[in-house]
Amino acid sequence: MKPSEIKKLIIGSLDADSDTVEAARLLEAEGLSFDFRSGFSERVNNKLFSASSTVIRQVEFVRNMNFAFKRIALTGVAAIVLLMISLFLMEGSFSVNSFLGLSNSYDESIVCLLTGN
Amino acid sequence: MKESYRQTDDSELIKASIEGDKLAFGEIVNRYQKMVARTVKGMLGDSVFAEDIGQEVFIKLYYSLSEFRGEAKLSTYIQKIAINLTLNEIKRRKRFFSLFSHTGDDEMHEYDVPDHDHEEKREASEIVNKALLKLDPKFRIIVAMRMLQGYSTKETADILELPLGTVLSRLSRAQEQLKVILDKL
Repeated sequence: MKPSEIKKLIIGSLDADSDTVEAARLLEAEGLSFDFRSGFSERVNNKLFSASSTVIRQVEFVRNMNFAFKRIALTGVAAIVLLMISLFLMEGSFSVNSFLGLSNSYDESIVCLLTGN
Repeated sequence: MKESYRQTDDSELIKASIEGDKLAFGEIVNRYQKMVARTVKGMLGDSVFAEDIGQEVFIKLYYSLSEFRGEAKLSTYIQKIAINLTLNEIKRRKRFFSLFSHTGDDEMHEYDVPDHDHEEKREASEIVNKALLKLDPKFRIIVAMRMLQGYSTKETADILELPLGTVLSRLSRAQEQLKVILDKL
């Protein structure tokens, strides 16, 4: 088939009332073939397999992260307990002020302002 | 597990694939890879990227098989996945090339990596490839469906989930655009 005939066939295949199946068949007979490289099916399977092994690797990573997190969390809790004990020993109570590191002294200027004395 | 699934119908293949039978899924891939190739390569050109999208279509299909209710044909379901992934790829490339070039869509095809296994193309393939890549993507999909897959206007409308009138008007506009493109080739 000449290029001009192929072009005519292409345009004709888009007519609303054209026989699309026949046009597609004719174009295929003229060498219009869209195929993936040989072994496509195997490559899809390989990708699917490697994808599942990636998932397994991801699960392992999350498990390791969990283990690491538990250790970090325990160390953190121990540090907090030590801090509280030292605060209690220094301040003698667990008041908010002792936590915030504020002393019990008043700011006299504010007291004067509020009471007028 | 069966040795060969060549005579098995789609519903049985789906069932076996969901149960983890790789041979059954391999048969689905073999059965529909040509159809997917026509859609993906028709839309993206004959490039290695097209094969990646083709693989992605079947990977997505594998993970969504359990959601397939069998209301439509398996081929329609696969076709929809192929169209969605291909359109996403076109959008992604358009965004990428609009960032790095001044001309956008027209220029992106120059960056297609040729598939060397199919370098010796015949004339019809060359003409169709060149013409399709110059078409507007929204027309390209309709042309690919009709010209390459042989779908009727109604089937095209059903698969693309578009009103029949829209498909007909796009078809006629695609035909006009294609005439201009083919005259220049």
